[in-house]
This record gives sequence, C-alpha cells and structure tokens, in this order.
Amino acid sequence: MSDLDAYRAKASAWLQSMAPTFGRDARKGLSEADDLALGRRYQKAKFDAGYAGINWPTEYGGQGLSHLEKVTFDAEEMKHGFPSFYFGISLGMPVPVLMQFGSDKEFVKERVLKALQGEEIWCQLFSEPSGGSDLAGLRTKAEPEGNGWKINGQKVWTSWAHYSDYGVIVVRTDPTVAKHKGLTYFWVDMKAPGVTVRPIKLAGGDSHVNEVFFDDVKITDDHRMSPVGGGFAVAIATLMIERYVATDSAGFGPHLDLFVELAKDVQLNGRPAIEDGRIRQQIARNHAMRAGLDSINVRARLMMQAGMMPGPEGSLNKLVAVRSRQKLSELALDLQGHDGFLFDEHASQKEDWASSWINAPTGRIAGGSDETLLNTIAEKVLGLPQDHRPDKGIPFNQIPA
Amino acid sequence: MTILYDEGQQAIATESRRVLEARVDKDALLPLLEAVGEYHRPFWDTAKEQGWTALALPEAEGGLGLGLIELGLIAHQAGRSISGAPFLTSGFGAAKAIELFGSDAQKARWLPGLASGETIGAIAFAAGPDALPARPDVTFTDDKLDGTARGVSGGLAADVAIVFANGPGMPVLALADLAGTQRSAIPSFDNSRLIADIGFIGTPAETLAVGGAARDAALHILALQAVVTAHEQTGGAEALMEIARDYALTRKAFGQPIGAFQSVKHRIAELYGLVELARANCIHAAAREGAADFITAAAAARLSATEAYDTAARDCIQIHGGIGVTWEIGLHLHMRRARSLAIEQGSSLFWEDVLVDQLAGEAA
Ligand SMILES: Cc1cc2nc3c(=O)[nH]c(=O)nc-3n(C[C@H](O)[C@H](O)[C@H](O)COP(=O)(O)OP(=O)(O)OC[C@H]3O[C@@H](n4cnc5c(N)ncnc54)[C@H](O)[C@@H]3O)c2cc1C
Repeated sequence: MSDLDAYRAKASAWLQSMAPTFGRDARKGLSEADDLALGRRYQKAKFDAGYAGINWPTEYGGQGLSHLEKVTFDAEEMKHGFPSFYFGISLGMPVPVLMQFGSDKEFVKERVLKALQGEEIWCQLFSEPSGGSDLAGLRTKAEPEGNGWKINGQKVWTSWAHYSDYGVIVVRTDPTVAKHKGLTYFWVDMKAPGVTVRPIKLAGGDSHVNEVFFDDVKITDDHRMSPVGGGFAVAIATLMIERYVATDSAGFGPHLDLFVELAKDVQLNGRPAIEDGRIRQQIARNHAMRAGLDSINVRARLMMQAGMMPGPEGSLNKLVAVRSRQKLSELALDLQGHDGFLFDEHASQKEDWASSWINAPTGRIAGGSDETLLNTIAEKVLGLPQDHRPDKGIPFNQIPA
Repeated sequence: MTILYDEGQQAIATESRRVLEARVDKDALLPLLEAVGEYHRPFWDTAKEQGWTALALPEAEGGLGLGLIELGLIAHQAGRSISGAPFLTSGFGAAKAIELFGSDAQKARWLPGLASGETIGAIAFAAGPDALPARPDVTFTDDKLDGTARGVSGGLAADVAIVFANGPGMPVLALADLAGTQRSAIPSFDNSRLIADIGFIGTPAETLAVGGAARDAALHILALQAVVTAHEQTGGAEALMEIARDYALTRKAFGQPIGAFQSVKHRIAELYGLVELARANCIHAAAREGAADFITAAAAARLSATEAYDTAARDCIQIHGGIGVTWEIGLHLHMRRARSLAIEQGSSLFWEDVLVDQLAGEAA
C-alpha cells in the first residue's frame, strides 16, 4: 500500500465514523441555522482530527501536507453529504489569500485558526451590479480618510455574506486611470458600521447569495492587502487559487453510476432503458468526458507533487462538466417521465436529478461564466486575439456608462 | 390545408397576445410555484371568456368550429406568457377523444361543459416514464377502473379523464368521471401544472375504444395534444429568444453591450434557428390534422419544439449571468415549464421512437 493509499484508508475510516453525527441523514429536516451550527461543529472535529488545512503551512495551524492528500480527503469526504459548503468559499479563496498577502502576521494567524475551526467565515466581495465578468469594471470606491479609507458602493452575488465575519474586497481607489490600474484590495469586517447584507433568492429556491451595501464604512490602512492601485493582480491571484480547489468531473451533480442505475430501473417504450442505444451513447460519452477530466486532475496533482506547474487544461473542468451535467439531468428527467414530477427542493444536487437540473445554471455562471472561460482559453492559452474592447486604456471615469 | 395564416388567424394571434400580456405577469406566477395545488385562475377565466376552450370543437357540439391551427396560435401565445393552466391542452384532448370515439350520449353529457370550460378534462395515459405503455398500470374490468394513474397534469382539478387502461387481454381507452376518485397533489418543480396521482377504486368507466383501436386512438389524441403543446413550447422559446436579445442589447461589459461579443450574439442567433424550425413544424403539423402523415408531422413538431424550449431556457439564463438565476427575474419559470412540457405529452425519447416507427413503416 502506498503512503497515499494508507492516508486514504485512514481518512475514509474517520469520515465514516463521523457520518452518523454530521452526514446526510443527520442533516435531514434541519433549518439552515441548525445546519450551519452542525457544520461549525463538523469543521471543528475536522480540525481536531488533523483534516482541516491539510495542505496549508503548519505555522498557521495547517497540516503541511500536499495537494494530493487534500484532494484525496475531499474525494472521500464528498461521499457523505457533510455540511461543509458554508466554508467552501471562505477556506477556498479569501483565507488562503489572507495568508499570502495579509501584513499583520499575528492577526492573520488568529483569523486563519478561527476560520479553520469553523468559528469565523470569510466571503469574497468582488462582483458588482455593473461588473461580474468584467471584474475591473467595478464602481465601489474607497477614498482616503484620516490614516485609513472610507468605502461606499454595492457588491452583489456575495456567497454566504449573511454568515460572514470578514470579507476580502476589491474597490476603486482611482477613477482617473485605466480601469484595472485604479483598484485596491482590502479585507473588511462584515460587522462594521455601514455594512448591510441583503439576501437574494435564487431560482432553485435557496438564498445563499447576497447584495452587500457599503455606506461610509471606515477601515484603517492596515486592512490593505495590495499596493494602492495594485488590487487587480491580487484579485487575479485569488481567482487562480480557485482553479484546482474545486474539481469534480460530475460538475457537482450526480455521479454517472446513478444514471446507470436509473437506466436499469426504468422501462423505455417497453424495454429497459439501459438497452436503448441513445441512452447507451449518453452513458458512454459522459463516461469518456468525465474520465478525461479525472485523468487531467490526477496528472495535475502528480505534477504539483513533483514540483511542476500543471498545464492550463485544468481550466476545462467546470466548463465541460457543468454543461454536460445540465443536459444529462434533463435526460434523466425524461427517463423518469411522469414519476420525475415529484420534486424536493431540499434534495441533494449530487443525488437528485431534478435538483441537479434546476441548480445547474448557477454552475455555468458563478466562478467565471462559460464564455469567460472560453475567452481565457482562446486568448491566454491559444494566443488568439482579444475581442474588441472599447474601454481599453481609457481612464475609468471616461468610459461611457 | 394551406400553411399560410389567413387574416382571421393572424387576428387570433394578435388578439390573444394582447389579452394575455395584459392579464398575466411573472409576479402572479411566481407564488404559484410555492403552493401545491394552485393554478393561475385569471388565465383559465380568460380562456373561457375568450372562447378558447370551444375554439377547436365542432359547432354541433357547442364549439366554434375552428381547428388545430387556431388553437395552436393561442397555445403559442400562452407559451410566451408561461400562462398555462394545463387544461387548455388536456381539455381539448379529452373533448376530441369524446368527439371522435364517444357515443351520442357521451357527447351530450360532456362536450358542452368541456367546450365552455366549465368542465375540466385530463388525460391519463402514461405509466411513469412510458407515455403510452404496453401494459398500463390502471386496469379496466367489468366497466370499472382500478389502480393509480401517476403524475397526471391537471389531474387535481379535472372532472373527467380519458384513461388508457389495461383491459382483459387488451388495452382500453376509457372515459371516467373523476368525482369518486382519490386524488393527491404531487409537489413538483412546476407546481401550477396541478399534477396529481389519481387513485381509481372500482371507479365506473365507459369504453371509447378497445384493443388495437384503443392504442391507435390514444396515440392520435396524444399527437393532437403534442401539436398544441409544441406550439406552446415554441411560444416559450420565442419569448426567451427575445428576452435574451433585449438583455444583450442593454447589458454592458468591457465597455460595450454583451451582444457585441460573438459568443453571445451567436448563441441568440442559434436560438432563432431553433425557434423557426419548431414554428415551421408546428404550422405544418397543425395543417396535417386528418392526413395520413399526421403522426409523423406531430412527432417532428414535438421534437423540434422540445429542443427549442429547453435550449432557449438554458441559453437565455446563461446570457443573463448572475441575474438570470435569481428567483425574482423569473426566467426559471420558463426553465421549469420547458421541462414539464417536455415530459407531459411523451418525452423526446418517446416521440423519436414513434417517428422512426412511422418512417420505417412500422405500426407504433
Ligand atoms: C450562485 C453564485 C454565487 C456567486 N458567488 C460569488 C461570490 O461569492 N463573490 C463574488 O464576488 N461573486 C460571486 N458570484 C458572481 C459571479 O462571479 C458572476 O455572476 C459572474 O462572474 C458573471 O457576472 P455577471 O453576473 O455580472 O454577468 P455578466 O458579466 O453581465 O455576463 C452576462 C453574459 O455576458 C457574457 N459575457 C460577459 N463578458 C463577455 C465577454 N467578454 N465575452 C463573451 N461573453 C461575455 C457572460 O458570459 C454572460 O453570459 C456568484 C454568482 C452566482 C450565480
């Protein structure tokens, strides 16, 4: 048995022992507040058992292991339906960025430890009504005041802002220069006076994203995590971290096994659906696609392990997987026919086809839309020319609204 | 029959659109999603008042003597405003089943009410995923129905159902008064469809057709409903295409309207192609009612309309970015309706098989 196999076996045993207390069945029927409370206890249990911050430095309370252990653990963890998504963004991007760019080491260490133990949650305040794909088009501004700054404006789509203690934020500090040159990166206290969080209900019925309003919110200059005017680079660094954090070739929907089971159970025009050529083709094609993504991911991890940089093909995951999850879920609903009308809004997206289908559109938009990802591949990877961008090089305050 | 709409038909389209735009909006529809067993009553009142329920039934039976083309035009507008109560389609299907296969007594008993919209009709053919099963779940013996018809659209409010049942050794197309049945509402992703399980317990029923004729009759009714539904789907897809176009003209990113990005522009142009193919197939199918190739035409309309509506829902939401997945903006109303309509009259898998059977010269 390799070291990694041993690690997997140990993690798997621990996770199984936690499942009765924190897993899928334990969460049935809980209110969101109770589920979050359970999530915090689960996160603390992970920390105590040495499974939080697996690939983070030990000086910040991490385990100092590699991406391989981290991904191995995640894959095992995914099977049990634990309440861990409240911490996904927090531990995924903002807190790692804080470790990298935060100036006050003592403060950073305290925050990281609390976040790792589920006591504090961080959110990512990038998108705005006028700037989602166009990250550098944002309008929320910070103006110098005393020895610090005063923030005014509005953010939107902020996941888990309503539960967050802190957030990382990109704001405009100079409107007279080209749009991506006038941005600065800060952290903010979400409980500070002048911060208002308003939930947005999503198509599938839940409300985990928010509008966040900043009304004369005062921060001191030690909240700054980039040079003044150098925020765009840190924002891009944040988004880069995202790339290999979240990988799931099922597009965060059900595993293909569940589709095969469905096709075996269901009769299609008098024959088991699994015997139908169209269904077989979809299973085969989805398998080939998912196997390819899995292989890309494993190779990337091995490269990182060996100290090499993985190739850009890792960016295909979300793009390819979520689109096909969306269509496969439609097909699964067709296969269930009139039995598929029965709908449980709280069912898991990883186990229920209707829930997977209704929530799939978010996956094609959040964290970079399909089109943005395709542009990145076309321009950055393949060297194709950029689209015409009339706002290029023009001072931000002179771009026609 | 010609496939060019005449003036009268165009007037029906314009007028029904005007009426529906004035009376249906998403803010009235959104709350229906959160309540099981509620439908949009203003739509149904409008349908009755405007005579849409009577439109495609013969004058002798209390109808207006128009046809599938006119009904399709109205369904198209209903699809644009997502305004179905499910009964327009199933009520028509039920009435046609009685008109074509019923006795004079059955016609006298049911058709006037179905034509006026006071009586609500439903169709219970499917068994789970199978739109026209070889062995239906519901059984028919000694003029009585037993068993459960699962997931019947409109079933919660219907007064009468046309049931495809398993008779002794052969299928039966039966007519049942639903007064004495046990009905339970199904919480669905598209709640305003009033989907219900209907439990028959020794429910008295009358036969409309038996054996091979029952199957042919059921397929014909399903095809009629599929053509109406295809119009509704095409209307929904067309509305989404226009919503996407309008948004792409106004929303700006990187200093220009997002419609200037070819990936967005082409996505909407592709929708145009899907919508127009579906519309053309709908017009053709409506005109082929009564012809030998009606089933083939209906299947083509149904397949292209399902593709158009599902794709338009996916793409229109995508073009809206984050706003597109919010509850308030209501694009998910279309997404949900696209899926419920895709399943209700037999899924694409069903119609693909029917179509290939027809093309290969085999009985369906
Ligand atoms: C569930 C959810 C959670 C989210 N969580 C967070 C969060 O925690 N923090 C945060 O900061 N943000 C978050 N977001 C925001 C997300 O990153 C943005 O929604 C996304 O980047 C798209 O931006 P937008 O909504 O403004 O769409 P727009 O940018 O307006 O895009 C509209 C359409 O135009 C297309 N488009 C835009 N530019 C181009 C181009 N150059 N070429 C081709 N097509 C283009 C897009 O692909 C899209 O189809 C979240 C979003 C969702 C839906």
